Parts: sequence; structure tokens; C-alpha cells
Amino acid sequence: MPGNKLTLRILLLLLSTDFLETFTHLCFKKSTLPESGFQISSPVDIFIFIKAVFSSGFLWLGLSLVMSTFIIWSTILSKIDLSVAIPICSFSYIFVPLVSVIFLNEKINTLRWMGIFLILMGVIFVSVSTRNEENTLK
Amino acid sequence: MKSSLILIIFLIVLTSICDTINQLFLKTSINSLNMRVNAIKKIFGFIIKLILIPRVWIGFIFSCLSLFIWLFVLSRADLNFAYSVDSMHYIFIAFASRLILKEKVGLARWMGTILIMTGITLVTLSSGPP
Repeated sequence: MPGNKLTLRILLLLLSTDFLETFTHLCFKKSTLPESGFQISSPVDIFIFIKAVFSSGFLWLGLSLVMSTFIIWSTILSKIDLSVAIPICSFSYIFVPLVSVIFLNEKINTLRWMGIFLILMGVIFVSVSTRNEENTLK
Repeated sequence: MKSSLILIIFLIVLTSICDTINQLFLKTSINSLNMRVNAIKKIFGFIIKLILIPRVWIGFIFSCLSLFIWLFVLSRADLNFAYSVDSMHYIFIAFASRLILKEKVGLARWMGTILIMTGITLVTLSSGPP
């Protein structure tokens, strides 16, 4: 039975998986940018699409980031519960919009910011609830 | 235009379900190893033992499936939009943790889940044509 104690080390590991995940998604988006508007009308088109995406260096960089994330994530899950680890990964909701504004020049309107804020609030609630249960279990 | 948005949301839900299945397989595998990785030296042995469990590979197949759908979604939608709708997997994880991993889901956690769902709805509404 893995322990539930959230140490600074685990928190730092979780933060590092968040950073890795953010840049993984950025790499994947970059790899699909030349294919934007690609029309898939037959099963053959799916293979053409996959072939085009796999020829991008960004996709392979993204895949190596996925491997690193797997190793760190498995280490985290050996120490803490899934319901503790998943909500704490909410940092991505701050990183991903910031990264897409800075590097991809995407626009975020007020309504979307509000949505992101609510998601973040919800995630904090979920995290706090896990903590309270841990305390009552002790 | 509207039907393509519904298709995109459906595909993102599908990736979320695949991710949840992957996480469940991974977590139950790690639990079955009953190992706590405290030293960096131990990580290598731990990962080797972990990848020898077939369930991890079934999870990996789901993860790949999720990745291919995700790549297709990203070629059509904004990273912000796609990533925000993908947060639905918090709800799937909460349900799966309760039903399969037998974890307790209290009031605060359900409130958090509803807040996340409201946030997702706002993000989806804001994605209309400018």
C-alpha cells in the first residue's frame, strides 16, 4: 500500500511532469501545424496524415518527452495515490494557456480565462478534499 | 461547422476515456509491485519490473490510441480549447477511482468536479467564431 504523504520532493516531481507535459503538447501542436485543414475523407487519408506528422522532428521530440514523463510519473504513483497525483497536475492549466499565447500566438478571451479559472478552482477543491481525507485516516 | 465541433469534442472525450483506462492499468500495476522508489538507483529496476507487467502494455496501447486521436484533434482545434476540454478526464478519474480503486469521493471533491465541469462548459462556449 503506497503512502499518502505529499512531500516537497513528490511535489517537485509532479511539477516537472507538468512542465514536460506542457512542452509535449506544444511539440505535438507544432508537428500538426503544417497539416492544419487536412481533410480526412477515406481510411488511406489517415495513413497519409500520420506519415506527414511523423516526418516532423517536433513529433519525435514530443515522443521522447512522453518517455521521460512515463518514468517520472510511474515513480510518483509508486509513492502516492492516483486521486492525489491527478488533481495536483492542474498546474498545466496555467502553463498551457501561457505557452500557447507566447509561442503559438493563440488568443484567449475573457470567457475562456473564466473557464480556465473555474477549472483551476475545482482542481484545488479536489486536491484539498484528498488532503482532508488523508488527515482523517491518520 | 457545429457538427465538426461536436465531432472534435467527442474525440477529446474518447482520448480522455483512453487516458483514464491507461492510468487505471498503470496504477493497479504499480500497486501490485508494492514498491516505493526512494533512491534514484532503484528507478531503473522499478521501471524494468513495471514494463514486464502485460497490463502496463495494454494501458500503453490505449495511450497510443489516445495520442493518435489527440494529434488529429490538434490539427483542427486550438491547443487551449483542446486541452481545456480534455480536463473532463478529472471526472472520469474521480468515477474510476471510486468504483475501481475503491477510493472515497467526498462532498468537496464532487464540488470540485462540478466546478471543473462548469469551467469546461465556459471554455467550450468561448470557442465560437470570433
